[in-house]
Amino acid sequence: MLTQSAFDKEGFLRDLDAWSPAVAEQLAAAEGISLSAAHWEILYLLRDYYQRYDASPAMRPLVKYCARELGPEKGKSLYLLSLFPGSPARIGCKIAGLPKPENCL
Amino acid sequence: MIYTLLVLSSPTSGHGARTAYRFAQAALARGHDIERIFFLDEGTTAGSQAAVYPQDEESRLQPWIELATHHGVELVLCISSALKRGILDAGEAERYEKPAATAHPAFVISGLGQLIDASAKADRLMTFAR
Amino acid sequence: MVIRQSPYGSSLARAAVDLSLAMGAFEQHFDLLFMGAGVLQLLPDQDSAGIGLKSIGKVLSSLPLYDVERVYVDADALLRHGINADQLVLPVQALDTLALQELLNSADQLVSC
Repeated sequence: MLTQSAFDKEGFLRDLDAWSPAVAEQLAAAEGISLSAAHWEILYLLRDYYQRYDASPAMRPLVKYCARELGPEKGKSLYLLSLFPGSPARIGCKIAGLPKPENCL
Repeated sequence: MIYTLLVLSSPTSGHGARTAYRFAQAALARGHDIERIFFLDEGTTAGSQAAVYPQDEESRLQPWIELATHHGVELVLCISSALKRGILDAGEAERYEKPAATAHPAFVISGLGQLIDASAKADRLMTFAR
Repeated sequence: MVIRQSPYGSSLARAAVDLSLAMGAFEQHFDLLFMGAGVLQLLPDQDSAGIGLKSIGKVLSSLPLYDVERVYVDADALLRHGINADQLVLPVQALDTLALQELLNSADQLVSC
């Protein structure tokens, strides 16, 4: 369990190397989300996306990437919204320990 | 004619930034409209209220302030370009726990969507490059 | 959208790529054209970690996910740099000078970085 100082004012992880599955649980709890296998599938997909493209995805590419990697059933914004309500790309990236978005998109 | 301006050029190097505000002044004087002026990359340093320019040179900040205050021209700094150059408004300074807001209040800090939106509304998009 | 900057020579290169991603994310229909030293952005296997920067090539390879699919390159620039059009980080179409002029003339608006 990381202390509060490990997160910035908006709850983003300050040191991305400190990320672990346990930290993800903690980040998710702060968002009021309890992580299920379905969540984990998307979180690892986000980390995989970041590795592959050196960037966090905006919503549209995330949906497309989910469709490509996990099939058309999961490649839907409604599905992602049901797991990460509000803004799935932003909240998903936060829990997955990816860099804070630069707010350009 | 409705213009949107994109400024890529730094106010301290080259002529792009000066040409941009002179263009804007001339366009307004001739009755054209400026939808928005968007600053990207080095262009965003134009929004710094912390920069000190020589007293005996033309100010590189004042013409922008006049465009905003006298003509209501919207001046938007690209957030990702501005942040990495230390140009922050009060909100971003607070968000990133930095000691001061350095962006002049005549400028707004926002995303690239503001450029895309303004180009869609304009007849002409003019780029002022390095 | 015209990209003319080599990948790691200036910050404008990355800003232009970010603008292309944003245009895709906002569902703008546009053509992306790499000209001059800009074609060097498309070379695969450039390792930018040594200079402490993120990889532009990796980011460019995500453009199809942003529905940016009309990507063109200046054929002369490829030739000058000795680059083969089918070994790049993205599927591209090479245009000769005449086709390039036609493409630029067909645009309602141009952004050139």
